[in-house]
Amino acid sequence: MSSLQSTLSQYLADPSEVPGAAAEIICAPASLPDAAKVLEACSAAGASVVPWGSGSQQRVGGLVPADVILSTHRLNQIVDWQPDNMTVVVQGGVRAADLAERLAERHQTAVLAEIPGESTVGGLVATGASMYRRARYGPIRNRMLEATLATGDGRVVRGGGRVVKNVTGYDIPRLVAGSMGSLGLIGEVCLKLWPMGAAHATVRVDDPERAWATAYRPLAVLDINGSSFVYLGGTPAEVAGQSAQLGDVVSDQMLWPEPWIGSGDEVRLSMRVRPSDVADAVASLPSGWEYVAAYGVGEVSIGCPKVSLDELADLRRFAEARGGALVVLDGPTALYESFDPWGSPPSSLDLQRRIVARFDPDRIINRGRLPGGL
Amino acid sequence: MGLAEELVALVGADRVLVEPVDLYLYGTDASIDRGPVKNVVFPESTEEVAEIVKIANRYQVPVVPRGAGTGLSGGAIPIGSSLVVSLTRMNGIEDVDPINMTARVGPGVINLDLSKHTKALGVHYAPDPSSQSICTIGGNIANNSGGPHCLAEGTTVEHILELEMVTADGQVIVLGGQAPDPVGLDLRGVVVGSEGTMGIVTSAIVKLTPNPLATRTVLATFNTVEDAASAVSAIIARGIVPAALELMDKLMTVAVERFVGAGFDTEATATLLAEVTGHDSAVDAELEIVREVCELHDAKAVRVAVDEAERARLWLGRKSAFGAVAQMAPDYYLHDTVVPRTKLAEVMAKVYEIADRYDITMMNVFHAGDGNLHPLMAFDSTEPGMLDRVHAAAKELVEVCVAAGGALSGEHGVGIEKRDLMPLVFNEYDLDAQARLREAFDPDGLFNPGKTLPEGSRCFDFGRPVPEGVWV
Ligand SMILES: Cc1cc2nc3c(=O)[nH]c(=O)nc-3n(C[C@H](O)[C@H](O)[C@H](O)COP(=O)(O)OP(=O)(O)OC[C@H]3O[C@@H](n4cnc5c(N)ncnc54)[C@H](O)[C@@H]3O)c2cc1C
Repeated sequence: MSSLQSTLSQYLADPSEVPGAAAEIICAPASLPDAAKVLEACSAAGASVVPWGSGSQQRVGGLVPADVILSTHRLNQIVDWQPDNMTVVVQGGVRAADLAERLAERHQTAVLAEIPGESTVGGLVATGASMYRRARYGPIRNRMLEATLATGDGRVVRGGGRVVKNVTGYDIPRLVAGSMGSLGLIGEVCLKLWPMGAAHATVRVDDPERAWATAYRPLAVLDINGSSFVYLGGTPAEVAGQSAQLGDVVSDQMLWPEPWIGSGDEVRLSMRVRPSDVADAVASLPSGWEYVAAYGVGEVSIGCPKVSLDELADLRRFAEARGGALVVLDGPTALYESFDPWGSPPSSLDLQRRIVARFDPDRIINRGRLPGGL
Repeated sequence: MGLAEELVALVGADRVLVEPVDLYLYGTDASIDRGPVKNVVFPESTEEVAEIVKIANRYQVPVVPRGAGTGLSGGAIPIGSSLVVSLTRMNGIEDVDPINMTARVGPGVINLDLSKHTKALGVHYAPDPSSQSICTIGGNIANNSGGPHCLAEGTTVEHILELEMVTADGQVIVLGGQAPDPVGLDLRGVVVGSEGTMGIVTSAIVKLTPNPLATRTVLATFNTVEDAASAVSAIIARGIVPAALELMDKLMTVAVERFVGAGFDTEATATLLAEVTGHDSAVDAELEIVREVCELHDAKAVRVAVDEAERARLWLGRKSAFGAVAQMAPDYYLHDTVVPRTKLAEVMAKVYEIADRYDITMMNVFHAGDGNLHPLMAFDSTEPGMLDRVHAAAKELVEVCVAAGGALSGEHGVGIEKRDLMPLVFNEYDLDAQARLREAFDPDGLFNPGKTLPEGSRCFDFGRPVPEGVWV
């Protein structure tokens, strides 16, 4: 590692710049070509690399020991915002909060995390975090217009384009969403933007299933530990009209559930089922567990201080029997050794392996972070 | 046994074409090229498709999947004597699920038939290519097809939840699913739009969309195309996303009026067909924004469709535009490019300038809200030198769009038509990455070879350029 360290000397970062990162070598290249050079050197040395945004989701789907942490905090430019075209090009290390603040100047949104904390655009794309408003705007992959990657073997490759409709070549940007970095470091993306509603409301409802069926295009319908809310956005007349029909307005803001920061202390799970199975999924949870169930979407985020392997296996059986999955987002290190964080691999696993091998031939980035040990 | 005999043994003689006159019909699509067909086979099940692929592998015959053959970029045209696999008989609609708003469809289902089938439930299949009464969902998936109403709802890819596909080695795999975020790489999105080069889609679970609560359809006329294009850019810049924003120029409205009599003003230089949909209490506010912006951009008149019948007539007119042109000129070449929405007026001015310079009749009807242009050249190919002019003008059109920050194709695909233009927008590393992706799916190039990527795209290994002269 010491020769790799000297090869990478010009890209090294002071550990204090990257809170939480623990690896012998911490790099923070300031450009995508530089990131590619780091990766090429790591491939040559067979060093395992973990891309690092804010570090809040490093336990999603697996724990990866890092020889090198590749921090994106110097890739932090909003490169090209075209408000009148409703597109923005940003580097992977841009904090979602900073982007949201800029876009709000023109009442636009990239529909990233509702409460972004320190999370970065690259991290949200890599984990495919579509968050709550996907009920209205669809998953994050639908907003990926262009992506530029530094591949595991040190090539800079770009796919897609900076227009909102495009079939010029294969849709690499969409594939990058949720790829966990397995195709390369997500250096730059162009995202499609949406107008923000002029008015908002959080409305308490009794029956979330009914609310989802009756509300017209809500931003989200969430059951948060037994209390249910509809989130509305749009024109003042539309929001006022819908709120009155649905339930009690508790705020003219959006009161979203607090996000969590991966710590290894508590078990966090994501149960994914068909939208029609959400109510049953909630009913299947042992009492006392915390959850946020997204109606119309099919995701139940679960938090539990203590859980047995039997309970986990039951939940996974429930989800997989319905064509879904139970994914470990966070938990004590020992859990990852006894319980596969992803569960049954997809039928396309061999194909996925062949694809990853063509972007990261030495399999150095986030190795093992995808299902099937990929 | 030869290829044809093996196919006959598998599916029966009535589902295999062997006669040259029959094969000739399958050598082309709605574009202007043609290629050689060895045989055509019509499978009726996934298992048959898998067996057909295994047989083709044994004979090392390229396989070209085919839907209705309405593609405009040559995607279904064989290059080199190929086995055409027509999916039109796999046209079942099953498991319509009103709760999850999904349906399972065969690739041969006609786009419009699906929306008709689900109409009683108050839902529809949102992507609505103008060819929707004839094209198949399989072809839509392969081309990631769009349509007027994809502005707000997104193109085909946003409406495909699960795909069943036969791979190049004859395996059946399922990509995606009805639960959100299937684990692993999301290969759905890359197979959609892959133009039949990654596998044969044998079944799909599609998302259905609730019919809007309220709809307002607006017709605005302008004295110049630039004014209309600027109005479109300004509507987008005002932060509303209408359901559709379609622009037509005068030559086109005249053609449409002659053909179907939709009620367009044939005196207007440009006509904007806009639609806003949504909650009852929101559509009128959006309608007012559209009206206000059109008036600010010197609209001659702004009219709102009075009832569903008028609305249907206007849309019929819009969707019949290409049919109308076919009535007028012996030949036409329809182009498909995209530009940023801020560049519409500037690029349209150049489009007309190119038409003038080459002395070609250029008509336009396009998805202006997405920045998706469809310049259409109407001509008579028997006129000496005409085809050369058309091709030269087409190339200039693409260059103008690319220079404006645009892309080669918004919905018709790359196919054969734009394959060799790919280096205008991608460098050799980008093309190599795409070639790698395809190679992972289909290492021997069995499916639809010669499409989408120019020859020599796969030219790097492990980041180091292969020396010149060793292209494979
Ligand atoms: C008058 C007219 C209007 C049009 N309007 C529009 C429009 O508004 N928007 C738009 O996007 N397009 C439009 N098109 C283009 C065309 O209709 C679409 O591209 C359509 O999706 C093609 O469907 P198809 O069934 O005809 O496919 P085909 O032309 O048969 O095939 C298209 C491609 O799909 C592949 N393919 C077909 N089936 C499968 C399968 N099951 N598995 C894998 N690959 C498969 C083929 O190999 C080929 O590459 C229009 C065409 C015409 C003639």
